[in-house]
Amino acid sequence: MLHEPRRSQALLATWAVSVFALSALTDLAALAMASAAALLLFRRGALRELRRVMLAVVPLSLGLSLASWTWLWLLGRPPPVAPFAALTARTSLIAFVTFSLLRRVDLLRASAPFPTAARLLVLCLAQIHALRLLVTESALGLRSRLPRRPGTRDVVQGSGAITVALLSLSARNARDIGDAMRSRGFH
Amino acid sequence: MHIPDGFLSPTVTLPAWGAAAPLWYWAIRRNFGTSSTDSLPVVGSLTAIAFVVQSIMIPVPGGTSAHLTGVAILALLYNPGVAFVCESLVLLLQALFFGAGGFTVLGVNALAMGLLGPGAAWLVFRALRPLWPRAAAFAGAYVGIQVATLGVSLVLGLQHRLASDYMPVPFSVMLPAMMVPSLTVVGVVEGLYTVATLSLLRRARLLDAP
Repeated sequence: MLHEPRRSQALLATWAVSVFALSALTDLAALAMASAAALLLFRRGALRELRRVMLAVVPLSLGLSLASWTWLWLLGRPPPVAPFAALTARTSLIAFVTFSLLRRVDLLRASAPFPTAARLLVLCLAQIHALRLLVTESALGLRSRLPRRPGTRDVVQGSGAITVALLSLSARNARDIGDAMRSRGFH
Repeated sequence: MHIPDGFLSPTVTLPAWGAAAPLWYWAIRRNFGTSSTDSLPVVGSLTAIAFVVQSIMIPVPGGTSAHLTGVAILALLYNPGVAFVCESLVLLLQALFFGAGGFTVLGVNALAMGLLGPGAAWLVFRALRPLWPRAAAFAGAYVGIQVATLGVSLVLGLQHRLASDYMPVPFSVMLPAMMVPSLTVVGVVEGLYTVATLSLLRRARLLDAP
């Protein structure tokens, strides 16, 4: 039994290798077997992850497959259905494995033995959190000032203004973080 | 616009990783230096900006919406290398935390959306800026989006050419499916956003906006 951070690192490495391996599959039978194995392996929370896959991945790959197949059929050269089914199955399977495995991994713990990567990860996530609050507040402010729903022009103009605020805030944050790191002995 | 996992086989994704890795190393060393106290806060902040800007949804006529990419603005304000590093980190974070895009296709997406697109935006902007700075910013962002989208379409077309049973959607279908929304909506929105941001930066006299 592996302990953290080795466990999370081993899971991440397994995931990286497995998604490359799964991305090579084209045979429907092999994809069905891999899907069954993935469902068995990640049965805890499988329904929740399947729902995520249905919402985030299936509409794109299925929609593209259907549109493409219909277009080729209208041109008078209907293609075989199997490659389209395999494309949808493959993208869905990879997404399911990714969602299920990443839910079981603590990325911060996994990156702990690599200080630069860990610091960058923490900095990015902290900054995203801080800047997102500004964007949410700005969007709410824009909505409250307009008597109607903001249109394309309003949002594009508002996005320009918020980007300026984000750039100045992030420049100040970067300076502060740099000073804080130096004062704690980092180089 | 970015390609999800499962659309490209390892015959395409592995060489793309191989091509992107030295470029990442070079771009980080060249733009962010070797001292982590100088580089990490700047990389983290600019990546966060690119990430957050991409979460802003623009309502477009027809009831749907498009999202900004925000990498053209980074390329114009700093340089394409900065945009490449930050966009690659955004794609990695999206793949690891949100399952969006993907890990196997990270190299392809980073090269197309992080390097080719911003690189084209920067070149167009530099060429047209002496004539008309606002039009140059619009044209740069517009062309950048088209180049990135075309790059993604070409890679998907290449995958169809290499193995049509793997990617059954032919290039003749993929190209219009990707380029029409990009030419008519996404590019225009990104161009307007870039012009608005640069003119506000100039007016506020911030960051030596070009």
